[in-house]
Amino acid sequence: MKNIVLLLPIFLLFASATYGQVSDNEKITDEFNNIKLSEFFSRLEKKVSYKFYYDAVQLDSFTIQLSVKDKTLPEVLQEAFKGTDLRFSTDDGSKNIYITRKLLIATELPKGFFNTKNDGSAGQATDSVADYDIEVRKTNRLNTDKIVEIGKKEDQKSGSVIITGYVRNSKTGEPISNATVSVDSVYGATTDMDGRYTLNLGTGTHLFNVSVIGMKDSRLQLKVFTRGKLDVDMDEEVRTLKEVVISSARTVNVRTVQMGVQRLTIENIKRIPTVFGEADVLRAITSLPGVKTVGEASTGFNVRGGSADQNLILFNDATIFNPSHFFGLFSAFNPEVIKDIELYKSSVPAKYGGRLSSVLDISGREGNKKMITGSAGIGLVTSRFNIEGPLGNNKTSFILAGRTTYANWLLNLLPDEYKDSKASFHDINFLLDHRLDSSNHIYFTGYFSDDHFALESDTTYGYSNRNMNVRWKHNYNRKLSSNIILGYDQYQYDVTSKKNEVNAFKLGFDIKQLHFKTDFEYFLNTKHSFDFGVSTIRYKLNPGFYNPIGEQSLVTPDKVANEQAQESGAYITHRYNPNSKLSISSGIRYSMYNYLGPQEVRIYAPGLPLTPNNLQGTKEYGNGKMIKTYGGPEFRFSARYAFSNVISLKAAFNSLRQYIHLLSNTTIIAPTDTWKLSDANIRPQRGQQVSFGVYSNLRSNTIETSVEVYYRKIQDYLDYKPGATLLLNHTVETEVIRTRGKAYGVEVLLKKTVGKLNGWISYTWSRILLQAYDTTQGPLVNNGRYYPANYDKPNDVTLTANFKVNHRFSLSLNSTYSTGRPITLPVGRYYYAGSQRVLYSDRNAYRIPDYFRTDFAMNIDGNYKVHQKTHNSWTIGLYNLFGRKNPYSVYYVSENGLINGYKFSIFGSVIPFINFNISF
Amino acid sequence: MKGKYLFLLLIMIAAAGCREQYDPKVKSLEQSFLVVEANLNPGPDSTDVFLTKTLKLSDPQSVKVEANANVIVEGEDNSAGILNNIGGGHYYSNNLNLTIGTKYRLRIQTFDGKEYLSDYVTARVTPPIDSIGLDRTPDGATIYVNTSDPANATRYYRWEYDETWEINSYFYSQYIYENGGIRPRNLPSEDVYQCWKYATATSIRLANSIRLQNDVIYKAKLVDIPSGSDKLSVRYSILAKQYALDREAYNFYEQLKRNTEEVGGLFTPLPSELTGNIKCLTDPTLFVIGYVTASTIQQKRVFFNHIPWDFRQFCETKEVPDNPDSIRVFFSGGLYMPYAYNPFPPTYYGSTDGCVDCRTRGGTKLKPSYW
Repeated sequence: MKNIVLLLPIFLLFASATYGQVSDNEKITDEFNNIKLSEFFSRLEKKVSYKFYYDAVQLDSFTIQLSVKDKTLPEVLQEAFKGTDLRFSTDDGSKNIYITRKLLIATELPKGFFNTKNDGSAGQATDSVADYDIEVRKTNRLNTDKIVEIGKKEDQKSGSVIITGYVRNSKTGEPISNATVSVDSVYGATTDMDGRYTLNLGTGTHLFNVSVIGMKDSRLQLKVFTRGKLDVDMDEEVRTLKEVVISSARTVNVRTVQMGVQRLTIENIKRIPTVFGEADVLRAITSLPGVKTVGEASTGFNVRGGSADQNLILFNDATIFNPSHFFGLFSAFNPEVIKDIELYKSSVPAKYGGRLSSVLDISGREGNKKMITGSAGIGLVTSRFNIEGPLGNNKTSFILAGRTTYANWLLNLLPDEYKDSKASFHDINFLLDHRLDSSNHIYFTGYFSDDHFALESDTTYGYSNRNMNVRWKHNYNRKLSSNIILGYDQYQYDVTSKKNEVNAFKLGFDIKQLHFKTDFEYFLNTKHSFDFGVSTIRYKLNPGFYNPIGEQSLVTPDKVANEQAQESGAYITHRYNPNSKLSISSGIRYSMYNYLGPQEVRIYAPGLPLTPNNLQGTKEYGNGKMIKTYGGPEFRFSARYAFSNVISLKAAFNSLRQYIHLLSNTTIIAPTDTWKLSDANIRPQRGQQVSFGVYSNLRSNTIETSVEVYYRKIQDYLDYKPGATLLLNHTVETEVIRTRGKAYGVEVLLKKTVGKLNGWISYTWSRILLQAYDTTQGPLVNNGRYYPANYDKPNDVTLTANFKVNHRFSLSLNSTYSTGRPITLPVGRYYYAGSQRVLYSDRNAYRIPDYFRTDFAMNIDGNYKVHQKTHNSWTIGLYNLFGRKNPYSVYYVSENGLINGYKFSIFGSVIPFINFNISF
Repeated sequence: MKGKYLFLLLIMIAAAGCREQYDPKVKSLEQSFLVVEANLNPGPDSTDVFLTKTLKLSDPQSVKVEANANVIVEGEDNSAGILNNIGGGHYYSNNLNLTIGTKYRLRIQTFDGKEYLSDYVTARVTPPIDSIGLDRTPDGATIYVNTSDPANATRYYRWEYDETWEINSYFYSQYIYENGGIRPRNLPSEDVYQCWKYATATSIRLANSIRLQNDVIYKAKLVDIPSGSDKLSVRYSILAKQYALDREAYNFYEQLKRNTEEVGGLFTPLPSELTGNIKCLTDPTLFVIGYVTASTIQQKRVFFNHIPWDFRQFCETKEVPDNPDSIRVFFSGGLYMPYAYNPFPPTYYGSTDGCVDCRTRGGTKLKPSYW
């Protein structure tokens, strides 16, 4: 038997010990001339009474060149392995020698292993163990009061050491992010996206605890001698039908240095009732303080006064340009593949760039590494299916998930005249992850979404997101790790109209980006750690084409010239914790943007409005030639001062730049909105934000409270001239009004994270005001005065609550109130072209009535018998419980010669929904 | 069937998205601005400039005219023409004798001492209308116009139209209730079987061929006639007037249409300021509404007869005994009208007014000359 046998359910830990224990007096004299290890061992076996156990595959690259005389076996092995990472341990009892790489195997049971509780001894086991990290992974399921030693006592140094490790689900092997690791009941670290944590501990004895919602707390005693590694497998909290009281120490948003960060797990999101009962990432976002939407059918959201295109929406590092289905009724993210979401409103980490307001980072799950599982759901409008599991061995796992809508076949039930109607969408996620070894992990993300819509006309709309990327995570050592990402993102839409054969056309738009990014994390010591990296994006944009369809079409093909640009950035963040109270994160990102040829650039007379009259000429640039370069430093600074474990003060300053803009003159993101790159005539948008906050946890950390205040400025915000045509416009710059904005507000959050009743209440008071100031551009909007943006809703209160009646039945309530959004209303009327018409004056001078909506849902889980083929659950609810007709807009329209005022509500009544989920 | 059930739910959801009449009570501007509607006609026809003022939303009247203004057309060639005040805010000239290709502008001096001046606009020729047709649609019918400019020079078009249609009563009435009694009608002068209805365009109709190889407008919509409308119940005629526009004028009308007719949808652009080509010289901050254009007008009238059309009236016959009391009780209210007489036994046949008298359905007895 030449392979290693792991004899014990060993608690494998790292040990920096170099030599195994040996006690033999058989002397060896021999000459080994460049022989393979296997031969070396078999020759030794003939000389001594020991037997060697090793992994032949792993060691076949080693050769031995050695001559020994009268040496003991340990001496021979020591000499032979000198300069290699080979280690040996001897079991004198069975006369076995185990050869391993890097790590040692414990060959003795811990002292006191067989002690029983009633024998009067201490009753606690002490494991002197080695971390073995090769083929079979055994990790700690730390739910006993066991003492675990890290390192060897002999090597103990005083001072602090670094402990790292991964936290994983013991059942599925998925990493658990955002788990709180606490040491001696004080917050220590939070696991990252890959479940990794880094702790800085003083040597000595500590109480180590890992907790996360949905998992059993893992707890053990640590004896730390040297730096090391400690992986933790956590058990899912098994829901027993008997009432159990679980009390666990929850930790703390008080401690992190970032501010304006909101995290939601998919469990949180699934509890929020939504229209049609689809768990919706983006709707969950809008229940958070500082996040607003213009209306119900808009998936675009506004963060702290930013427009919808100022949010960077990432799904596993893939930029999603259109995050919605059905023109905004559903978000384009399948809840089945999402692990959690993070929204950065204020302290945007320096590794992100390119958008002004926020970063929404949506992380996908890893597939189940232990067995094939899946789930399916049926709702009113969509059905979904996902399957996941290991591929081959337990190093690779996948998730394949898809959603589709029935609306298309439903529409076929309509009378004949609607026969051509269709409305459909689907999305597909494919996630793959593969662990090469303990320090290399590769992830693949594929995302595809597709929407088609045509109702009662011969005009069809379609749009599609296509994304894929590969991420390689590498841990160089305990202190340095990196993520390297290479990816491709695409968004496209097209509109086809065959209604009028002479005018039949197809128009379309697409944007593609190829991006490459490396992020490094370097953990120097307790006080200093660094993030740094570089990134680059190549944009290729097809701003629009318009082509004839059919033989009778007289449409002249038209195309706005393709654009391309390169956006690059380099950043470094220094996190500094001078003491336990103060923590400072200072980051700088330098971003550079190059607008590239081929392009014909229009040159306008300097200092004059960009109008066709002031066009001086054009200049041709060849392929790849730099036309215009923008760039500059962006500062990301945040600091925290903790008065105690439960109260802290934070401050942050941020500056950002945005080089790509969504051209939109509708209130919400419309299906035909296109993106535009900054060019010689359209400048990048810039923004700065300063914010302060107080964070406090009450009632043994079960209630989190925070108050944040911010002030923001935005420069070169894009607004448009009255009646501007943005689609297929060859000279978009002539329609743009340079605008600046200021936004300020207070956000209050009260969050109860545990208990039968949990949820949050958020209140926001905020303003966003815009101003057209460039008098060279002709008449100014509202004569150059500040005016509220379309999404300026000063007061906003949201309550999201979940009440667990018992283990199988829970109730959710979601209630939201906000000031009505600003609209432009007429100040007079007149008669023109055969009809009464309204006269508009100041932009956004009025508001629609206030918005108030309450949703209610019941979640019913099927039985909890462990051994059944499928588990199922139901969600039944009512959207807009009070049937309030919340206006989406108020407007005056000329109809049959008269002016009529209307209030339009998208969901003007109670909408019941039902969802059925099954998992296997 | 489950599918049907789901579908019903969907319909409910669709119905839930609703619009309702609403008056947000906004404060109107105290100021009143000049509104100019003018097409200077370089052809041999008349020119009519219509001057009005903006109103408050709450004002009861529908139009406030700008009377007593001086309206002058000035040419780049220093020519000038005066439009005569014919009352009602209309300023009129039989023939301004403008030259095609020359630029003209409009100068307006209002009674309150303000002077307004438009930009110069080039007098242009409008190509003739090719044809006007009717398409049946699931919702009724659409009247459309086809036009083209072989020279590919026009590109932007606007239409106005007048509609005329004949309506007939369900019953042919030979009797009339008058002064408490019934007498035979004097026909044809007292006929109430045949009426005509008139309508003018209330919405702006525009089309362009800017994206097409040829300057062709195919099936541009003039009127939508909903199913069941009385417009096509007997005979229908439409007179379309075609105007050539330049790009700026087209943009003005398109913006006006978007601002006032196409608001309220999910993806419609926000209402925006309307910029015309007229400015106030005395007070440049004053807002002026309107865009002066200069083009000939092309007209075309077509008739649609015997279109298979589902127009229904639900009419019942009431038999009224021929005695003064019954007649008075039944017909004096005006809701019912007599239409025929049956001597055995002496009985008048009556029906509701809409079934007997076409004038109660909004028709007039005024027969158009072209009918």
